[in-house]
Amino acid sequence: MNPQAQAISTLFDDNALRAMGPLFALTAGALLVLLAGIIPALRAARHLFVAATLIATLITQIGILRAPIGAVLENTYVADRTSALWGILFVAATLLAWLFSVHYYREDRPFQGEHDFLMLVTPLGMTLMAGAQDLMVFFIGLEVLSIPLYALAAFRRNNARSIEAGLKYFLLGAFAAAFFLYGAGLIYMATGSVTFADLSGTQSSSPVFVAGVALVMASVFFKVSVFPFHLWVPDVYEGSPTPVTALMATGTKAAAFAFLLNAAFLIPVSQAALIVAIAVITMAIGNLGALVQKDVKRMLAYSGIAHAGTILLVVAAYLRGALMREAAVDAALFYLGAYVFTAAGAFGLLAALERDGEDTTTFESLKGLASRRPLVAAAMSLFMLSLGGIPATGGFLGKWFVFSVSYRSGFVVATIIGALLSVVGMGYYLRVIVAMYMQPEGKATSSPHGQAPALPMAFATAICVAFVIAMGVLPNLFLDHLP
Amino acid sequence: MINLTWLTFLPLVGAAAVLMTPKAAVQAQRMIALAATLAVAVMGVMLYRDFNAAIVGAQQVISVPWFEIRNGQDPLAINYKLGVDGISLLMVALTSLLMPIVILSTWGHIEKRVKEFMVWMLVMETGMLGVFLSLDLVLFYFFWEISLVPLYFMVGIWGGERRIYATIKFFLYTLAGSLVMLVAVIAMLYQFNTSDIGALTEMAAFLSPKTQSWLFAGFAIAFAIKVPVIPFHTWLADAHTEAPTAGSVVLAGVLLKMGTYGLLRFCIAMFPAAAVQWAPLFMVLGAVGIVYGALISMAQNDLKRLVACSSVSHLGYVILGMFALTSAGLQGGVLQMVSHGMSTGMLFLLVGMIYERRHTRALDEFGGLAQSMPLFALFLVIAVLSSAALPGLNGFIGEYLILSGAFLANQWLAVVGVLGVIFGSIYLLMATRKVLFGPITKRANREIADLNLREVALLLPIVVFIFWIGISPTPFLAQSQPAIDSIVRRCDEARALKFASLAPEPSESSAPGDKSSNR
Repeated sequence: MNPQAQAISTLFDDNALRAMGPLFALTAGALLVLLAGIIPALRAARHLFVAATLIATLITQIGILRAPIGAVLENTYVADRTSALWGILFVAATLLAWLFSVHYYREDRPFQGEHDFLMLVTPLGMTLMAGAQDLMVFFIGLEVLSIPLYALAAFRRNNARSIEAGLKYFLLGAFAAAFFLYGAGLIYMATGSVTFADLSGTQSSSPVFVAGVALVMASVFFKVSVFPFHLWVPDVYEGSPTPVTALMATGTKAAAFAFLLNAAFLIPVSQAALIVAIAVITMAIGNLGALVQKDVKRMLAYSGIAHAGTILLVVAAYLRGALMREAAVDAALFYLGAYVFTAAGAFGLLAALERDGEDTTTFESLKGLASRRPLVAAAMSLFMLSLGGIPATGGFLGKWFVFSVSYRSGFVVATIIGALLSVVGMGYYLRVIVAMYMQPEGKATSSPHGQAPALPMAFATAICVAFVIAMGVLPNLFLDHLP
Repeated sequence: MINLTWLTFLPLVGAAAVLMTPKAAVQAQRMIALAATLAVAVMGVMLYRDFNAAIVGAQQVISVPWFEIRNGQDPLAINYKLGVDGISLLMVALTSLLMPIVILSTWGHIEKRVKEFMVWMLVMETGMLGVFLSLDLVLFYFFWEISLVPLYFMVGIWGGERRIYATIKFFLYTLAGSLVMLVAVIAMLYQFNTSDIGALTEMAAFLSPKTQSWLFAGFAIAFAIKVPVIPFHTWLADAHTEAPTAGSVVLAGVLLKMGTYGLLRFCIAMFPAAAVQWAPLFMVLGAVGIVYGALISMAQNDLKRLVACSSVSHLGYVILGMFALTSAGLQGGVLQMVSHGMSTGMLFLLVGMIYERRHTRALDEFGGLAQSMPLFALFLVIAVLSSAALPGLNGFIGEYLILSGAFLANQWLAVVGVLGVIFGSIYLLMATRKVLFGPITKRANREIADLNLREVALLLPIVVFIFWIGISPTPFLAQSQPAIDSIVRRCDEARALKFASLAPEPSESSAPGDKSSNR
């Protein structure tokens, strides 16, 4: 055996292969789905392949959760309990978005194979991002996630807003990627490494290093949509096909936060106050912006900004020393876990209402929904209450954990402001319920929302409802598994 | 023995049963709701009978581990813990007895979407009972916020013209208070690493007065909005005016009591030093509420709004009495909570009954109803006199105790309170005169039908209690006496400590669990 082969085989030892199991499963599955789209004989089995891929990924992640592996591939990638939990969350987000997409498209049905392929590639990127212990590995994950999303955002080719969304997302995403690479370059220049294991030892405060960290963080802030990098969110969320929006809002956000918590040590501890300030401004912009929207999808986009601001409090808490780290990761995982099921459910139901009807997701079109589709209205109300953080939903406990962490880190004023801003938030969530339950059907809509959701959509909604309630009422089922 | 879990969640089971029925089976839905609430009422009465007044602490305790939050070395264990003590017992009894009456009253005015209404009613009962029975701070907060949702739907769907404005205002107002409380709850939990209300009550008294004051304020804002104490009262008139009758009765009868109950259980019992410090402010706010509520009631032409405004006045008494921090004041406050639930609830029911017949509540639309509706007139006079605190009826006992308790704490505010009694009689009797007496001016008032059997049946139990409490209040006072005595003792200790520390140079005392040492 030549030395090169030897080096490769020691690099990819059994542990490394097991750690990469989810990545392999997703890659193989995605390629299989792409293949199934081309070969007519396999076309019917495509849905089966998607489901099988996600289940296989889930099984490998649960394997890692049961027996964590740790850092592999020369400390550039980690497969531990935390990364496994994030991975499971990404699988859930993808599964939900996919289930909502199966019957969503009308004019573009012939390209569903490509659609499913692109969708299956995104969790690959997310998983890489969450496990990355190296700026380059993270960057590869980021691009593997982003490029399919650019295409997916513009997937409704006959719809100008969808094209606009794709283009906007792509251009700004390209900027963010450039920022990241430049920042990583500067960090390398200052320290001679881009691996976390090396970086965590150096306490460099050279301007080059600080500028590098600032650029990297700006790029990640763009992905999680916090101030001042949030401006793309409403347009892109509104224009994209709704299931894709669901994926962006849940999966992308969770992956970027997973990385942010891993890389938070790069931020100087003295800048915790800055992060808190950004969090508060983000919450304010998101909540106040959502208040004036006429379109529910746009409103949920702003609400997503507000939620990102809330989780950013946890990132700031992470800087407050080792004592808070465990609590911070717990809170972020639970909050985003609840948010994945809640937001995916909310966007998904909008997708269910849109399909075959008019492409409107305005408050006007929701009027009187409770009498036309009582179950859809009930589920939607549950998601709204969870987003607003009312008890017996996962959203409440998530909010509680985040505020606890923030309070204990000494951000008392920010916690109180956050709590009061979430009252503003409840104001627009209530408007959805008002439209569905308390206002008669509008004249403008010739009842486009008459049909029942298709079976996959109903199934996905049921999953979301079950998790939102279970996380709110029996949180021990989830808390016991935290890292 | 009554299993408190069953008591609390039986309405929820009823709600599930109502959900199973087909939409058109209106009668079945009503009967299921009635049966569930009646069963809870029976359990409530049994709970009252089994209660041992000699024990100070909680009884019939159920405690099951619920979930744990990791917190360094010792996890923070949250328990599902229910129990009843002297104060919550009266509230539970009031809730469980009022609910079947409310359900029965909906026969007349809830015609559309009956199924949903019954579901929300039953969910609400579970929420309210949960609030009163929780012995775990997190569980309490859970129920506290959940109980917002049903009323939001009730007002928003079955309410009057401006129902959406009213219901959103109600929801956001209360939620704002609740979230400030949430921060205080978080502070408490991590200060002491427990969520057990009994344990927290023991330990919180050792906090420095300054820390107590902050936590007191966090809790007090939430409860003061709920009661509502005067600057926060504007949501109440709107919510009451727009709510359907049943919603108003539950709101006035029980939901507002969650606020006064919270003030007593948390603000006063947990933070006695802060309560002593803040008591004068609250007594003033209570006294202002009494007079202001009475004055705005005089100006109302809408009968329902009048009753709603009178609630502000009556709850002012509760606040005045409780924050006198004397045995009589607290006793009176607790009893007045029950009395107000009966008399104001009954007034709302009666207003609802004539609204169903005439579809108006304007005072000048009525007159001479005593001739056409003698039964209605009888009940209205009883309710009004009970509300105006006529001796021999329930309102008198509570107000008398409150005023005598307040007199010990502050004579001048007690005098203001007495003035309120006079104002109260004025607007109540004026309204009664306009509705019942004088000549019949409108034709519709001549042909109006008197109360039917169902309506009499649902009013009678309230009348029984109005007289019972008024003539023989001892059985109602005795149950809460030990619990109240222990609160008064805590406040006296805190007051003694305050004066002791005032005499020498006030030092920065650092109690064992002081907040600053935890940073």
